[in-house]
Amino acid sequence: MNILSFAIRNVKRNWHRTLVTTSAMGFAGMIMILYASLMEGLFQASERNAVAMDLGDIQIHAHGYRRDPDLYTRIADANHLVQSLQQAGLHATQRLYGFGLAAAGSSSAGVQLRGIDLKNETTVTQIHRHLMQGRWLDRSDPHGVVVGRKLARTLNVKVGDEVVIVSQATDGSMANDLYRVRGILKSVGEEIDRAGFFMIAPAFRELMVLPEGAHEITIMRPERSASLEAATTAVKTLAPRYEVMSWRELRPLIAAILGLADTHILFALLVTYVAVAMVVLNAMLMSVFERIHEFGVMKAIGFGPGQLTLLVYTETLIQVAAASVLALLGGLPLSGFFERHGIDLSAFVSSVSFAGIALDPVWQAYVTRRSVVMPIVALFVIAGIAVIYPAVKAAVIRPVKAIYYR
Amino acid sequence: MRAVGILLIALLITTFGAVEIARLSAAQTEAPGERARRILREVDDLWRGDSSHGIFTMQVKTAHYTRSMRLEAWTKGKEKTLVRILAPLKEKGTATLKSENSIYSYLPRTDRTVRLTSGMMMGSWMGSHFTNDDLVKESRMEDDYTPRISFEGERNGRKTIEFTLIPKPEAPVVWGKVVATVLAEGYLPLTQIYYDEDMAVARTFTFSDIKPLAGRPRPTVMRVVPADKPEEYTEIVYERLELNLGIDDAFFSLASLKRH
Repeated sequence: MNILSFAIRNVKRNWHRTLVTTSAMGFAGMIMILYASLMEGLFQASERNAVAMDLGDIQIHAHGYRRDPDLYTRIADANHLVQSLQQAGLHATQRLYGFGLAAAGSSSAGVQLRGIDLKNETTVTQIHRHLMQGRWLDRSDPHGVVVGRKLARTLNVKVGDEVVIVSQATDGSMANDLYRVRGILKSVGEEIDRAGFFMIAPAFRELMVLPEGAHEITIMRPERSASLEAATTAVKTLAPRYEVMSWRELRPLIAAILGLADTHILFALLVTYVAVAMVVLNAMLMSVFERIHEFGVMKAIGFGPGQLTLLVYTETLIQVAAASVLALLGGLPLSGFFERHGIDLSAFVSSVSFAGIALDPVWQAYVTRRSVVMPIVALFVIAGIAVIYPAVKAAVIRPVKAIYYR
Repeated sequence: MRAVGILLIALLITTFGAVEIARLSAAQTEAPGERARRILREVDDLWRGDSSHGIFTMQVKTAHYTRSMRLEAWTKGKEKTLVRILAPLKEKGTATLKSENSIYSYLPRTDRTVRLTSGMMMGSWMGSHFTNDDLVKESRMEDDYTPRISFEGERNGRKTIEFTLIPKPEAPVVWGKVVATVLAEGYLPLTQIYYDEDMAVARTFTFSDIKPLAGRPRPTVMRVVPADKPEEYTEIVYERLELNLGIDDAFFSLASLKRH
């Protein structure tokens, strides 16, 4: 108790220094809460864009399709398989893929044709809500298509414009037809942005002369909290003749990068806090040197080295605690603001890509317990380390020398 | 009337004989590289001439489909080609124009003309084993390769000459080398084997069924077999061929692409 009142008195006595140190720490903490929340938002958006827009949780392909995406390598009993997956309580949809040439006016580009099962796709992905312009596909408009953002720019088309598709149908004939752009997607991922050409499955089947089968079945767990591994195993037993992979296996790089989120934030904290540590070190070192005479007297009247160390630590603790309150008071509303409004980067870049996943140019923060707790805890740890040297210095003072110290 | 006929035949024999004698004497004096190049030039000119017009059928067999088409083609030099589908009905009128280094497709179903992008160049041309790139880069062997006669003599009971063609360093050619065999007599092509850059066989062209075509005997059947899918092939059978017609350049335009 004595120590605490000593510490409070000491902190108050040189209140200028306390103010500067505390506000430096508080400001750094605030910025780090904001930074961690922004990073959290980036990772969340990446995972959402990777999984919820296209990839799904689990995908089924015929063996060899992923290595060589051939029009003929199909899941033959796709209808039946989707039904049995749905009966097992999973959301599932089948997809058709093909490659072709899209031409509009004098521009043309290679595209990835995507035949979409409208009814089931909406249960699996959110892509139908991710439109920048126009509307999503509709059953009543077989020649209406939705295209990726960059593709629309390459072809120089807007909603309502015509696009000709040329490809090779399964019977070797030249598949070609005229479509009208119904909608243009927001940024989803490099592949879809650059080449995604969405049409309803019946239109795809007619164009490519492909009456049955599908190239891919995409599955989503109904509950995000359910185990991905368990769901993958369940799908494997339902589709034993096909290749079943979770999105983590399909995109190991994205999974690894998202898994490194903690490390990433920690590293950024470390870099910023080294500067904070120096401020703390400097302030506490000064306060120790300034009081060597005083410490000498304290030792002479019976203060032990442990108690002096404790005193220096308590002083630091008080300042860090005050800094944390500042950081929370500043950081939480700030992060909250960016969670609601986001940072619009579209003025600087046309598209933001992170780990190969395209993101909205509006970068939103996402405040989680982790993004708040980690910077505060790190602040305490860093200050604790920085103050070791001043504390030891105070502890090893020899009273006689200190008393005569000028 | 009969006299005129005999006269014509006599004239033909004399002219042909004179040409043959000139060729033989030339063969004795010219350098080996020069001779190889001259023979290649003849092979190159066999179907194209300065300009050509032909009708042929193309049969494609792959693991997934077999299809047969009847096509009409016009060429001028090596830069200009126009091919139009006559049959089947579903694709009738579909036309491909190659002009300089671009390929345009006219699609009657949509009444649109589409220019193929570079990304489509390695794609199949009309579902065959030819790529669009084959059409663009349809090279004259004489221009793009340095020829060497690698065999001359009797093979399979026929006098043949085999050439090994190495692409010139600056030539826009994707192959490692080409081995071409021609009949020693008349220089009619028998086979052309294309090797990829690792010197593995990529595809084999076989020429057969020598019949009179555009005034002289020529192979009328050309078959391509890709080395990695030996059970597949594309076969072109010439029905008709006319050479050196003097087609106007304007004929190879986007406007005539649409004309039926």
